[in-house]
Amino acid sequence: MSMGVGSAFSTEKISEDKMSISVGPQHPGAGHFRFTVTIDGDTIVDCVPDPGYVHRGAEKQTEYRSFLQSIPMLERSSLTDVTNIIMPFSMAAEELMGIQIPPRAQYLRMIMSENQRILSHLYWLGIQGIFLGHSTVFMWPLGDRELFIDLGQMIGGARITYSYAIPGGVRNDMPDDFKDRALKVFDYFEARLKDYEKIFFNNPLVLKRTQDVGVLPRAEAIKLGVVGQTLRASGVKSDTRIDEPYNFYKDLNFEVPTYESCDTWARCMVHLVEMRQSMDIMRQCLEKLPQGPVRVKLSPQQRAQAGEAYARVEASRGALSFHIISEGSTKPYRVKISVPSFRNLIALPRLLIGSHVADMPAIYWSLDYWPVEADR
Amino acid sequence: MAAVTNFEQFVKRVLEIVFWVLILVPMVIIPIFFVVYVLPVEFSCHFSMLSCSQQINWSAALYLFSPAELNPFSPTSFISQMGLGANSMIFKSSFFPGISFAAILSSFVIWYERKLLAKMQYRVGPQYAGRVEGWLQSFADLFKLMFKEIVIPVNADAPFFMGVPFALMALSGALLAVIPISANIYITSSPYSLLIALAVLSIFPLVTVLAGWASANKFSFIGGIRALYQMISYEIPFILSVVGIVILSGGTFSLSQIVGAQGRVWFVIPMILGAIVFYITAMAELERIPFDLPEADSEIVAGWLTEYTSMTFGVINLATYIKLYGLSALFTILFLGGWNGPAPIPGALWFMIKTIIVITLFLIPRGAFGRIRIDQLIGFGWLWLIGLSFANIFIAVVLKATGIL
Amino acid sequence: MTNIVTGSFQALWAALRQLPRKRMTMQYPDVQTQMANYYTYDPKLGVAKAGYKGRHILWLDKCTGCQLCSIACENIAQAIEMVKVPSVAKPQNKKTLFPQVDYAKCVFCGLCVDACPFYALGMTEDFNLVSTSKKALVYSPEKLAIPPNVTRKKVEFKIENGEAYHD
Repeated sequence: MSMGVGSAFSTEKISEDKMSISVGPQHPGAGHFRFTVTIDGDTIVDCVPDPGYVHRGAEKQTEYRSFLQSIPMLERSSLTDVTNIIMPFSMAAEELMGIQIPPRAQYLRMIMSENQRILSHLYWLGIQGIFLGHSTVFMWPLGDRELFIDLGQMIGGARITYSYAIPGGVRNDMPDDFKDRALKVFDYFEARLKDYEKIFFNNPLVLKRTQDVGVLPRAEAIKLGVVGQTLRASGVKSDTRIDEPYNFYKDLNFEVPTYESCDTWARCMVHLVEMRQSMDIMRQCLEKLPQGPVRVKLSPQQRAQAGEAYARVEASRGALSFHIISEGSTKPYRVKISVPSFRNLIALPRLLIGSHVADMPAIYWSLDYWPVEADR
Repeated sequence: MAAVTNFEQFVKRVLEIVFWVLILVPMVIIPIFFVVYVLPVEFSCHFSMLSCSQQINWSAALYLFSPAELNPFSPTSFISQMGLGANSMIFKSSFFPGISFAAILSSFVIWYERKLLAKMQYRVGPQYAGRVEGWLQSFADLFKLMFKEIVIPVNADAPFFMGVPFALMALSGALLAVIPISANIYITSSPYSLLIALAVLSIFPLVTVLAGWASANKFSFIGGIRALYQMISYEIPFILSVVGIVILSGGTFSLSQIVGAQGRVWFVIPMILGAIVFYITAMAELERIPFDLPEADSEIVAGWLTEYTSMTFGVINLATYIKLYGLSALFTILFLGGWNGPAPIPGALWFMIKTIIVITLFLIPRGAFGRIRIDQLIGFGWLWLIGLSFANIFIAVVLKATGIL
Repeated sequence: MTNIVTGSFQALWAALRQLPRKRMTMQYPDVQTQMANYYTYDPKLGVAKAGYKGRHILWLDKCTGCQLCSIACENIAQAIEMVKVPSVAKPQNKKTLFPQVDYAKCVFCGLCVDACPFYALGMTEDFNLVSTSKKALVYSPEKLAIPPNVTRKKVEFKIENGEAYHD
């Protein structure tokens, strides 16, 4: 069936035994995203995603703002992953401006980035729970998230969108009581993760819903070009922090989790292992944090040299990259954003076709598709 | 589709008025009548200098002289002679232990469930309605629901659509009618009360499918069909798990006699498999998590309840919780010895305590489990549960034949 | 089969264990958490000082009316506008131009504070800026100069004995 927009909007009966359901933007199971599935009894036979509901033209809007002024706009594209979506922009802008940021700033960026990764994964876990009908796994992560939001607020000054990693370094230094508080939070949360394992990751009813559901074999994952947890759960060892290290990841000690089962359960387990890993990375950063300045003084309307720059980081959902073309003025000429959610979208029809209707929310959310980020 | 004609609007208006009258009269007006008029008069024999039995003897003496007239001076009063007193059918079926008692208990069970679930999720639950821990929350919700508009969709089958809340309430009430609370307190007693209870429970899937179909909505239809599959495939293990009890209590179907047969040991101990099967199938009948697929709100909005708005929604939910109370009461009678218990506490109070413990057992899995899928659910029901209930029957036959129980 | 049974009981136990613990809920309208006050920027060092980014505070003795905050906000939210305030006469600001902030538009990013070269602008911990009309959300420079007065009871987010709660 064609991927045309017309077929997604039609409401006629397709044939006598097939029913077409629009899982639309106002549906508790979809978020700001519409996709139309055609079902035949209990099996899905076709799926047509229709992104673009929350497109705001972010790429075009960067052409009217200076580099510093684009930051608040770009970070609101991806609310659960704020630091990671502006970091490649700052890195590419710094390359174009020809400056090098101090090491303490890079460590602080790493700390905030890993904090953001935990926040994003906890939100993901909450919604995955509610899609499987498990309301406790909705309440617990959103409650434990408050501790990490509190940590982010101690440094960044706001709860969700802090505009922290700007071109030139980071905006302010860490307060003195951050380290003790962070270590307390990590100890508490690692004890809580054992409860999470009992109630979700090892819960037999959840295992029945997620094992062997939505299997994406390794060769197809590579062929479709998916990124992030979807790729790692299909057995491919791929992580930008290790393949192309930025900031100071090459000085840290961590491993990339991969699973061979390629199903929804493997994607859930990758998220769990990454949460533990992020806390470990934050501990190492807090140990190794050097003294020094945190910000290179730049004007708000700093001029960039003419040229191109490309930077890629490992955001919470996968590899996120920015490609900036500048013509030597204070505003960029063209910015191209490549987000992991949009890259993983191509796996959605492939995984949904042939599965049960009841598996639809579990598979959809395990790809970690964030509509606002995908539509930019 | 077609434009709404005046006749259809008229039918809709009439159905709404009938609905409100039929809901408000037994749930609100009759209980108030009983509390204000009947109870004070019924218990007024305690307020005189003669004892209650002396007053009855005097009035019996007076009655000998004027048997054909109603005697207004008798303590078994005027009202009870008219057939509305504390032992009359209308009192028992609509006040205690009937619909009003069950409805108020169910409202508290809704509050209790929200509090329990909140405690397991580190939240607080209701806290504002009523000063202490929000105990009036369900009444506040029912009160709010009364002010919303009853919306009947244009394509829906209006008489069937509006008939579903009544049917569910009537079925829940019929379930309660055969369940005795203590040796002397019951609405009706019948030598086949267990069979009547099981028969009433098997009508629920039909009404649910009717609700799904009459709503004229794809999601409701899917929900109704799922509810049908689930409830029908769990009827069989449900009934089979009870057969062992019937064997052990000497072949009687009367619930009072089943409680009487549990004098020495409660049936939960020899019939532990039957208790487990009853527990799991009752959760499936009640559509509680982990079996709440028909109301799965992340996939099909609210399943077969989607189109029900204000008080119709309230009545359907209340009927579901009254059914929860009814099934817990049935569990208590069949497995936990009903009203048997040490002396100083009356039998009815023991029954209530045990029922509330069983209700708690039904509420807890909501905090720990998610939903299971329809094909897994049916596989589990037909394969494992029927096997376990046959093993249970085998144990019951062995115990009875060897004369142990 | 035994995995299913033990797994189910472990899941139930993980949920029931939470019953005696303290609630994490913060009774928000009555209390709020403590936050660091005064987010400021030091133009000589070129770095800001950590603090909560709530309502702005304007130090009238330092502001020279240079409009850099308004220019910084132009392409972000256009929330700052310079107005003449004749009643406030300061030696360093002869034109009496001061910034007014429209909180219906402000996104609380703090880049205006980072643009001020005269230590005149900061952000405070007061985030409760509700009002019933859009006009009341436009804070004049004199209103911005008033230090914040948070009257709610402050609680701390404590972590003790494996429980996290607000007290």
